[in-house]
Amino acid sequence: MGAMTATATATVEPLVVQGLVKNYGKVQAVRGIDLAVRAGEVFGFVGPNGAGKSTTIRCILDLLRPSGGQIRLFGRDPSTDSADIRERVAYVPGELRLPERVTGRQFLTSIGRIRRRFERGRVDELAERFKLDLDRNIRHLSSGNRRKVAVLSAFLSDADLLILDEPTGGLDPLMQHEFLRLVRERRAAGATVFLSSHILSEVQSVADRLAVLRAGQIVASGTVNEVRGLARQHVEVWFEADAPRGLLQVPGLDDAAVDGRQFRATLTGSARPLIDALNGLPISSITIQEPDLEEAFLGLYQEDDE
Amino acid sequence: MTARAWELLAVPLRAARRAGLVWGLSLAALIVLTVAFYPAFRDEPELNNLIEGMPDALIDAFGLADFGTPAGFLRGNLYAVLVPLMLAVAGVLLMNGQTASDEDSGRMEAYLAQPVTRQAIFIGRAAGVGLWLLVIGVLMVVAQVMSDEVFGLDIGAERVVVTVILCVLLGAFHAGVAALVAGLTGRPGLVLAAGMALAVAGYVAMALFPISDVLEPWRHASPWDWALGGDPLTNATEAWRYLVLGVPALVLTAIGAWAFGRRDVQVG
Repeated sequence: MGAMTATATATVEPLVVQGLVKNYGKVQAVRGIDLAVRAGEVFGFVGPNGAGKSTTIRCILDLLRPSGGQIRLFGRDPSTDSADIRERVAYVPGELRLPERVTGRQFLTSIGRIRRRFERGRVDELAERFKLDLDRNIRHLSSGNRRKVAVLSAFLSDADLLILDEPTGGLDPLMQHEFLRLVRERRAAGATVFLSSHILSEVQSVADRLAVLRAGQIVASGTVNEVRGLARQHVEVWFEADAPRGLLQVPGLDDAAVDGRQFRATLTGSARPLIDALNGLPISSITIQEPDLEEAFLGLYQEDDE
Repeated sequence: MTARAWELLAVPLRAARRAGLVWGLSLAALIVLTVAFYPAFRDEPELNNLIEGMPDALIDAFGLADFGTPAGFLRGNLYAVLVPLMLAVAGVLLMNGQTASDEDSGRMEAYLAQPVTRQAIFIGRAAGVGLWLLVIGVLMVVAQVMSDEVFGLDIGAERVVVTVILCVLLGAFHAGVAALVAGLTGRPGLVLAAGMALAVAGYVAMALFPISDVLEPWRHASPWDWALGGDPLTNATEAWRYLVLGVPALVLTAIGAWAFGRRDVQVG
């Protein structure tokens, strides 16, 4: 059903945001955001905590009213048509709070009665996949298990657009993997997914395109490879003897340093020149680490500030 | 009613189940225990003499007039202060719990993101609170009528039912004020402050203003006076008393729902 609906409306972009501004008093939480999410793609919305991701998402769902700019969900304005449009949208909130005196099953049943499109028949199948006990009171569930209840409610909703705000917080790696499988299944069925996260690596494996948000503005956007090429990584190489000083000349490196048997550098863009330079050298160990998002896109932020 | 509309009502009914039953059973127990003392009191004229020796203003302020009669006994012990106050507080707390408090804690968000309007969610919640106030009233009537019978308190059931209805409407009026503030602000602290201030001010205006000649006319500005100023345990109650409490309860709730649809949802 979801696939059919999504195909029939493929010409209308599920989500378009133009010049979105949201102020809280004098604080500007969102400072002019433009986005266009295409039908059938997984769109990553990445930024450090406090960058304005949740504020943007709450505006899209009409929980907050924009101070400026406009939002179109399937071509319609959520501030005037929100109830109808949300039939096609499912949401997992970032700061998750669920009703407490009900079981997971009762909560899902309740949501199923409110939504016209809800796959009641798949409740147990999905609970099984997420190893979730639906008959426990939500109050007694761990934060990870509460998260699963919310994720289930969104994926059972048979929505054309899934808006997932930090959906994997509190999930263990196995469950994160299962979650990403579910995202790919929904995309294969024709749905569009808008996935926010403060961890780039979590989004990059599943997203088609992404936008990086910082301090209420988009600082980078494009395909995963395009954005990935802008991110910085920490490289550390240990050699069997003193590290060769020639490595300091390799292009694409910042802060390169040699210290005894150790070579350190920050890499931006392609890793190819460094790998080529390392080829054949007596390496004992190598680590390439992705720093947190704030640091990974430090270069972009600095350019932006200038 | 559609399955969706029914669910918007069922959610607050379930969520307020514990609080609603605690209020209803507490009030019923209070009524039964109070009436249980009636036989001992009836046979003890000393207390009546004591009350008759008190200043009139004090007797009026605490509803102690005719304390020796069944109506006077119920008024002085239950329906002058304690029961209406408890219902006003129950109205404010139940409404706050289903609206501003649920919104501020973020628990409403899972429902606000569904394909229903904010107004529909708000009205469903207010209706759920209204139904719980009704259940509380039914429990009170049952407790009152049965204990009157058991302990030989001789008063017409009709008088008791009308008095309970007026107290429940007073609770609904306060719930309406709570809904208005919740809809306008979404801040549970403000809802509680406004609701409790109104309950206390209303009581003071009805009970204490008559002591002062200057303030006396203002007692009629009190919702307590609208509900109980006609002494419903003794006299027939005019129709306007129901309307002047019930209609504002609905109108204030409707304004609250409208306001809730027009602002940002609070984020905890």
